Amino acid sequence: MSIRSTGGGVNDVTRFLSTGGGLGSPTSNATPFSAASQADWAAKRLVWVPSEKHGFESASIREERGDEVEVELTDSQRKLTLSREEVQRMNPPRFSKVEDMADLTCLNEASVLHNLRERYYSGLIYTYSGLFCVVVNPYKNLPIYTESIVEMYRGKKRHEMPPHIYAISEAAYRSMLQDREDQSILCTGESGAGKTENTKKVIQYLAHVASSHKGGTSGKNKEPVQMDGSRSLTRGSTLVNKSLQYGELERQLLQANPILEAFGNAKTVKNDNSSRFGKFIRINFDVAGYIVGANIETYLLEKSRAIRQAKDERTFHIFYQMLCGASEETRADLLLGSADEYRFLTRGSVPVPGQSDSENFTQTMDSMGIMGFTPEESVSMLKVISAVLQFGNISFMKEKNHDQASMPDNTAAQKLCHLLGINVLEFTRAILTPRIKVGREYVQKAQTKEQADFAIEALAKATYERLFRWLVHRINRALDRRQRQGASFIGILDIAGFEIFQLNSFEQLCINYTNEKLQQLFNHTMFILEQEEYQREGIEWNFIDFGLDLQPCIDLIERPAHPPGVLALLDEECWFPRATDRTFVEKLSAEQSKHPKFFKSKQPRGEADFSIIHYAGKVDYKADDWLVKNMDPLNDNVASLLHQSSDHFVSELWKEDIQTLPRVYFFDSYATLQTNGSDMDRIVGLDQVSSGESSGPVTFGAGLKTKKGMFRTVGQLYKESLTKLMATLRNTNPNFLRCIIPNHEKRAGKLDPHLVLDQLRCNGVLEGIRICRQGFPNRIPFQEFRQRYEILTPNAIPRTFMDGKQASELMIRALELDPNLFRVGQSKVFFRAGVLAHLEEERDLKITDTIIHFQSAARGFLARKAFLKKQQQLSALRVMQRNCYAYLKLRNWQWWRLFTKVKPLLQVTRQDEEIQARESALLKASEKLSKVEQEYIDLDKKHAQVNEYCSVLLPVVEEYMMSLTAYYLDMSCSVSL
Amino acid sequence: MAPKKDPKAPAKKAEPAPAPAPAPAPEPAAAPKAPAVDLSSVKIEFSADQVEDYREAFGLFDRVGDNKVAYNQIADIMRALGQNPTNKEVNKLLGNPSADDMVHKRVEFEAFLPMLQTIINSPNKAGFEDYVEGLRVFDKEGNGTVMGAELRIVLSTLGEKMNEAEIDALMAGQEDENGCVNYEAFVKHIMSV
Repeated sequence: MSIRSTGGGVNDVTRFLSTGGGLGSPTSNATPFSAASQADWAAKRLVWVPSEKHGFESASIREERGDEVEVELTDSQRKLTLSREEVQRMNPPRFSKVEDMADLTCLNEASVLHNLRERYYSGLIYTYSGLFCVVVNPYKNLPIYTESIVEMYRGKKRHEMPPHIYAISEAAYRSMLQDREDQSILCTGESGAGKTENTKKVIQYLAHVASSHKGGTSGKNKEPVQMDGSRSLTRGSTLVNKSLQYGELERQLLQANPILEAFGNAKTVKNDNSSRFGKFIRINFDVAGYIVGANIETYLLEKSRAIRQAKDERTFHIFYQMLCGASEETRADLLLGSADEYRFLTRGSVPVPGQSDSENFTQTMDSMGIMGFTPEESVSMLKVISAVLQFGNISFMKEKNHDQASMPDNTAAQKLCHLLGINVLEFTRAILTPRIKVGREYVQKAQTKEQADFAIEALAKATYERLFRWLVHRINRALDRRQRQGASFIGILDIAGFEIFQLNSFEQLCINYTNEKLQQLFNHTMFILEQEEYQREGIEWNFIDFGLDLQPCIDLIERPAHPPGVLALLDEECWFPRATDRTFVEKLSAEQSKHPKFFKSKQPRGEADFSIIHYAGKVDYKADDWLVKNMDPLNDNVASLLHQSSDHFVSELWKEDIQTLPRVYFFDSYATLQTNGSDMDRIVGLDQVSSGESSGPVTFGAGLKTKKGMFRTVGQLYKESLTKLMATLRNTNPNFLRCIIPNHEKRAGKLDPHLVLDQLRCNGVLEGIRICRQGFPNRIPFQEFRQRYEILTPNAIPRTFMDGKQASELMIRALELDPNLFRVGQSKVFFRAGVLAHLEEERDLKITDTIIHFQSAARGFLARKAFLKKQQQLSALRVMQRNCYAYLKLRNWQWWRLFTKVKPLLQVTRQDEEIQARESALLKASEKLSKVEQEYIDLDKKHAQVNEYCSVLLPVVEEYMMSLTAYYLDMSCSVSL
Repeated sequence: MAPKKDPKAPAKKAEPAPAPAPAPAPEPAAAPKAPAVDLSSVKIEFSADQVEDYREAFGLFDRVGDNKVAYNQIADIMRALGQNPTNKEVNKLLGNPSADDMVHKRVEFEAFLPMLQTIINSPNKAGFEDYVEGLRVFDKEGNGTVMGAELRIVLSTLGEKMNEAEIDALMAGQEDENGCVNYEAFVKHIMSV
């Protein structure tokens, strides 16, 4: 209501939030649809029929004959006969553009698609679907992310406002505070669907809401305590002019994304700003709900992009930003050339429409400044990036008479070594004739051109990857506020969704494996745990098998043994000297051929090596290079050189302990592996670099100890970090955001129905709705139910003690709920979707009554306090007034003047004073008198006492004297005798 | 002794009193359907002394000097006189004015008296127990305290929403080091004036 009254400007915005009418009010949906259209729908018996072009088309039923239905298409009047299964019922027009698709009476693919499409065309990109929120990338800027919109969503319940990522964020934040439960927001979807953008909006929202108690006393009081001295100084000066609403931490948090994007995003065919890595951002809050720190974890950086790009694609933004934006001086320092001079920039310079690389460079540098990067750190990073490019310009020649590689021109190598702070001769030797361990000995082994090229590319990729990891590590250090205790967190996962290309490689397997796990988490929370809980709670419930248990498929990938899964087999193959990608496929087929989710293409010439039936569909995998990708081999001779670099930053990058994951170094060459050549020189190094032991000046290859023969592959490491992530997620309350890409042309306002349908099937939106409608998604323990809703049923429960279950049952009876809407378990009450929301609404209404009265009392309190103060001021004024008035009146009255003159002379006027003086003198005298009297009495008493004493003593003394005399007499007698 | 300066002192009486606390932001006109109250039929039952007291309080709110006060001050005067009307009740008495009217329209004392009488005739019956019960709803641990953060949200988002300044003034010194508010003490504090 308040929104509409503020005027036209805001009104325009609300257009993008909800359909006409009032915000969020359920009845408003009905307004745009006349009774006529309702009648039309009923008379024509409208349905959806499949259509090549639109996905589904509307049609009306003409005739029904057993299993067949004759329909007439609404648009073309063409008549069709279809089987009954193909026809899907249409929802009444009242449900057009509903905000929550779980409300639809007819829930089918056609209706969901239709609803999303209608909303999308009206600029409404967010739609709820049961427990998810679905968002369709608008491919344009919508004015729905401003601060005033944030304010609109703040403190509101989900059903009070139109669907929005802010509503999801608010719900997560609120339930974190209310239930003291950690939250996660999982954004999934194809590349270009808007995952990263929505992640940023979540952070924007939280940064705003969880730090903007600027006027609040609690916020102010806390700040200085938590900040150390130096920080609070800078804070004071920057806060005022730079940003009023955000604190330093919040600003840094908001800057983390632009920096990560510069280094981890790239233009792809599908998406101009595609994240080439997955990330999990964890925002920590204290008990009062203020942000106290953050942490970012990244997954699967597509590092191969640093050395090669497909047509119309770019490598990571930072390369172009640096090449366009660096100053002349910096360019000279970094030995930069132009984009087309670098072999690793396969496509030269490819501008991104609407973006200026040089401007973005300035922004990236500014962001790094805000994040607290020192200028030295920034320059060092750019140096390393320049080095990555320079790696590509090193070229090798094949010697004439033998296979050995040589480097006739070492200009590029010199530049590279200058940038990385290593000796060019040592580098050349390490590349061309590295020392390799054969058995127990080390020998110098000359490399072929292919081997050298491979080593160079691997080094470039590894260098970039390490730089990226260092960056994440550095950002985490800036965002870590150890001084403040975090009570709970909200984690935001932004990770690529299912990828199904024509042929898929190891990277797709990792991504799809991740998604399988995430979907399993969803099914698990929403469904299996749900049914288990029904059982535990003794609720009558028919187990429904949605065919969604993904464990078989996950086992197929991750199972370590009996039989080993894909990853385990791949690892195993890396151990075998003669193994190739082919032998891997053969073994896999042998072990898993009976697995229901595994599929081996029948024709031996088939393009795909094998297929896995993921929940989102069948995916064809091609196993080329999987062994290499899994082992990720690296020339450890060069690695150790880099570790000893004279450049502190470079040696830091190659120091192991900045990495969270231990890495394996094994030495081999790409070429031998491909040709399956002599195995003697192919030594899988089992050296695991242990950060603790690498103290002295040991080289990676020679000096480091082998540790238990443990050999960590990419697959293993990934599986581990995924397991860790899943463990974290399982302990949170998940909120799901499904991002959908409407078309592959990056065009606004176009929605490709089949593309969207595929995604809806893939991401389980439809299943999610179904589960949500069949189950009892809301549950609440008796105690809490009573505590929260007792207000709705006054007098239902006797004041005396009553156990929770009985009380809850009484309350439910008093609420007169339909028995189908709830179940009473052993410790909780279960509700169907929407019931609790309704109760909440009633409760709010009820509480509102009390709250309004309390607010009136509170306002009364404030007003009276203000009034009291005013009254005091008034009476002070009155006193002054009276005196002034009296003075003014008398001042010119001759008699008064005379009086004032004469008064001091008059004896009479002094009488008072004299009497007073006398009286006080009298008082003094009488005081003195009484004092003296008292003293006299005291002395008298003492005297009497002494007398008495004397009289008692006297006889004694006399007696004594007498006896004494007698004694002396005796004595004198005896002496004389 | 009579002061010797400020010959203009008597004129002070006409000067506006120090500005009272800014009136709460007026609620957007609630339910326009509610019929305006017929104030002419209200029977005034105040004694002459009371009327004088009220007139004095009323005068304190007159910031212009026309012996009238703005619509948006009516509620605060009633509160100053010991009543706890809701904004809605007051708006109803004023005939549900627009936000603009709240600022610009003014009421004279004679028109104010029946309004006050109406409010006094139907006082806010909620008492200490009711408020405590109302706040107990938010007491999750059942230990007699509620989260200050939650209380702020409740007061600023539900009912007749209060703004940040009002809430700050209200909650000053009520939150302990954990951000919790002992709501019984809080209600007592509020009902103390």
